[in-house]
Amino acid sequence: MNWRRLLGLLCAVMLLLSAVPVMAEDPIRIGWIGSLTGDSAVFGVNESSMIKMLVEETNAAGGILGRQVELFTYDTKGDANEAINATRRIIAQDKVCAILGPNASGQCIAIASVLEQMKVADISTVATNPKVTLNYDEATGEFTTVKPYNFRICFTDPYQGAIAAGFAFDELKATKAAIFYDVSDDYSSGLTQFFEQVFADKGGEIVAKEAFKSEDVEFKAQLTNILAANPDVLFLPCYYKQAALIAKQARELGITAVLLGGDGWPSDQLFVMAKEALQGAYFVNHLDVNDPAFAELKTKFETKYNIPLDLNGFMAHDAYLTLVAAIEKAGTDDSQAIADALTEITVQGLTGTIKLSKDDHNPIGKEGSITKIAGDGYEFVMKYGLGQ
Amino acid sequence: MSWYYIEGILIQCGYVLMVVLGLSLLTGFAGLFSFGHAGFMAIGAYMAAIGTAKWGLPFFPALLMGGAAAGVVGAGLGSMTLNLKGDYFCIATLGFGEAVRLILENWEYVGGARGVSGIPWETNLNSVLIACVVGTLALMALIRSRHGRNIIAIREDELAAQMSGINTFRYKMIALIISAVYAGIGGGLLAHYMTYIQPKMFQMVKSTEYTIIVIFGGMGSVTGSIIGTLILTFLPEMLRSLDNWRLVIYGLAVIFIMVIRPRGLMGGMELSDIFRLPARRRAARMAAERIKSMEDAGAGKEAQR
Amino acid sequence: MINGLSLGSVYALMAVGYSLVYSIMNFSNFAHGGVIMVGAYIGYFAMTAANLPFWLAFVLCGVGAGLLAVLLELLVYTPLRNRNAPFLYYIISAMGASIFLENFVIATIGPTYRTYPQVFSTEPFRLGALSLSRIDLMIIAVAAVGLVALVIIIDKTKIGLGIRASSFSIKASQLMGVNVNVTIFIVFLLGGILAGFAGMLFGMKYTVYPTIGAITTKSFVAAVFGGLGSLPGAIIGSVLLGVIEVLVSGYLSSNFRDLIAFVILIGILIVKPTGLMGKTSEDKA
Repeated sequence: MNWRRLLGLLCAVMLLLSAVPVMAEDPIRIGWIGSLTGDSAVFGVNESSMIKMLVEETNAAGGILGRQVELFTYDTKGDANEAINATRRIIAQDKVCAILGPNASGQCIAIASVLEQMKVADISTVATNPKVTLNYDEATGEFTTVKPYNFRICFTDPYQGAIAAGFAFDELKATKAAIFYDVSDDYSSGLTQFFEQVFADKGGEIVAKEAFKSEDVEFKAQLTNILAANPDVLFLPCYYKQAALIAKQARELGITAVLLGGDGWPSDQLFVMAKEALQGAYFVNHLDVNDPAFAELKTKFETKYNIPLDLNGFMAHDAYLTLVAAIEKAGTDDSQAIADALTEITVQGLTGTIKLSKDDHNPIGKEGSITKIAGDGYEFVMKYGLGQ
Repeated sequence: MSWYYIEGILIQCGYVLMVVLGLSLLTGFAGLFSFGHAGFMAIGAYMAAIGTAKWGLPFFPALLMGGAAAGVVGAGLGSMTLNLKGDYFCIATLGFGEAVRLILENWEYVGGARGVSGIPWETNLNSVLIACVVGTLALMALIRSRHGRNIIAIREDELAAQMSGINTFRYKMIALIISAVYAGIGGGLLAHYMTYIQPKMFQMVKSTEYTIIVIFGGMGSVTGSIIGTLILTFLPEMLRSLDNWRLVIYGLAVIFIMVIRPRGLMGGMELSDIFRLPARRRAARMAAERIKSMEDAGAGKEAQR
Repeated sequence: MINGLSLGSVYALMAVGYSLVYSIMNFSNFAHGGVIMVGAYIGYFAMTAANLPFWLAFVLCGVGAGLLAVLLELLVYTPLRNRNAPFLYYIISAMGASIFLENFVIATIGPTYRTYPQVFSTEPFRLGALSLSRIDLMIIAVAAVGLVALVIIIDKTKIGLGIRASSFSIKASQLMGVNVNVTIFIVFLLGGILAGFAGMLFGMKYTVYPTIGAITTKSFVAAVFGGLGSLPGAIIGSVLLGVIEVLVSGYLSSNFRDLIAFVILIGILIVKPTGLMGKTSEDKA
């Protein structure tokens, strides 16, 4: 083929693909961005499916402010630069009034400057790094001001790490803890840092700290060291794939310590992969599994999409509820008005009462739900906040 | 398409182009294959980011510092590995790129896996444009100089180049260092566009993406690198509405272009070769011969074994 | 040690595929990870959706992965070979193929982690003070049998003779009457079958997911470690790498395990550029 003709063809295809469909009415436009491909696709697919389902429901019920909702979803491949591009596109071209997602802290931090420039709010689902909503001064090592357009509905790494450490020391009466964390993952490193701090402050001892990398599947060498340290609890701040594999291998080696995890754990796959090994393990969760709304939503979602509903789906659910409430409060789809309204509303979500603080744009006083794995399901143990 | 969106993609093209230009010199002109350029980028990005965010340096000196740091590390890597041949050099760079990322992940001063944040937002269309224009002109000047011809001679036939008195090690080293500096500056631009960097951003996949661009645009062509960067950065954005199918198409496109037109889009020609009409046929023939000799060299080695 | 051996055996099954292809075609087949991943999925669906017994699923996944590898060679590499393209182009095409396979699976089957049904009891197998898990034994056994069979094919059969001849020089062996196309075809088939086995065993021991191919970077390192293009080298390199990894994270530092693996890689290249069992450096120009 003549190469110039090929080039021409390519250009034509591009133009065609970039053509924007023309909208008949004037719906309220909202956006979601996150990973639909790449390593963390499993989480992003869950979020986007949930929001698609909710938007359909909202529209069937008459929409928001009497207007239909139109949803735009874009893949970020788990890449920060892709997230910036997607944000620029979704704001400038699709003219959304607010964005939900993305499902990782790195991407949320990277899009902050675009959000500020365009004055559009982003509500993150599971971005737990403190730097997502606060500006950080690397020179002094201190948090300075709040980022005006970044919000989140989940608790942060320091908070969750502290909850896990507090629960381990106060409730499980553990004095010796081991940590096995993912050194290549920012979420895992974050939890580790704060767990270590709080547990030591309370008077406990970290007897072993071992590391692995996200793509690892073989953990026995590190676990052998942990076995030798003989801890009371083994803290596993990671996602469910590793948690399940580690639990299995730990039990095979004869580690009897209580396993403790964070909000990366909850997933049906956890049971498929390592039900036996995880019996009696605890993790910090965002929602109370006894809530009947939990089961109802789960059944609805799973019948519709035929994929298991993970925690990301629940968080996306609540982020969407928060956004809808903010749009209703603002009474308009003006993006600045919505950003202002976000800190003024209180929403009863599945993961607790959501009230976003004006000072740091984090949910105020959201307690962790300590959940135990027992039999085929979760057992709600207690609400555990930092006040206790 | 809205201008704001296009502007974003163009800025991305800008810093990608800096890395690709460097890689183009190394791969396209010197014939050395690298899987470790994400490592040089990471060094440049971290150095520049630490400069502005931690030490309070202005953007421009920090950027140069990042480039310089990458160049120094490149010299170190080169002195150890440039004696390796073909695939083995490429594998050593792969190991280097991964090693850089692993060190950053374990280094608390630069935030470990959590990265560096609070980097001032300095990279805009103007700054990448200036960097790219300067970068392109400098590269063109180098290639057209005596040194550039020596570098190309190494790609054509290293043994012959050596016999005609070219210090091949030295010229390979020059190509590697310049290439690393370009990648470092590209990394610095990236850091000041993202305002946040973490080791995850510099995985091996990035190195391969840039190599794909160089080959896609055509080895030994600066114009090809520029066009390749533009197309391969815009293409995934154009396909954005396809959600998770878009990388499937990207993968197919790469295979397709390799099978249909393995010399890449420009196939060793520059834009000026095409527009200089009277000389055009001669230039095209020369370019074709250049590629032919390359392929014959490959086949020749085959026969020698 | 046993953990290291079992990890090393999985690496070996993958690394042999790299080495086989490299020895003849002189390029690193980065699409190998995609083949391994597809093999793991074939095994998974054969056992869950089609409810086939283990051994049948195992055969099926070997055959499926082998065919996929051959298909790649026919559709992607043959056109390149016909025009004598430099090795860079093969590598880029292989990468394109790997991007394609990975994302095709994400788009069609979905990114969810999947777990094989249990075939072997988790009850460890005790041998004196040693306790071995059954799946580890299985992996080591399959790797040993598969690799020995491969060595026999290459050393004792006529096809093997063709493969060995082609790895010295494709042109010369063509002149001597070796059908190079068939030889290359068989090389991809053999590499693919072993990759399929590796994928399925890996999936059974751990889990199955679309980016499973990423671990092939390690088996690639192992292949280089032992000397690209040398089969015994690939096997020894893999087992060594597996054992080194386990020992480093057990006794030194788990944070720096991979770093040490890569430092060893670069170190070996500098000291002995052709790997432990590699051919002399002249013919690698």
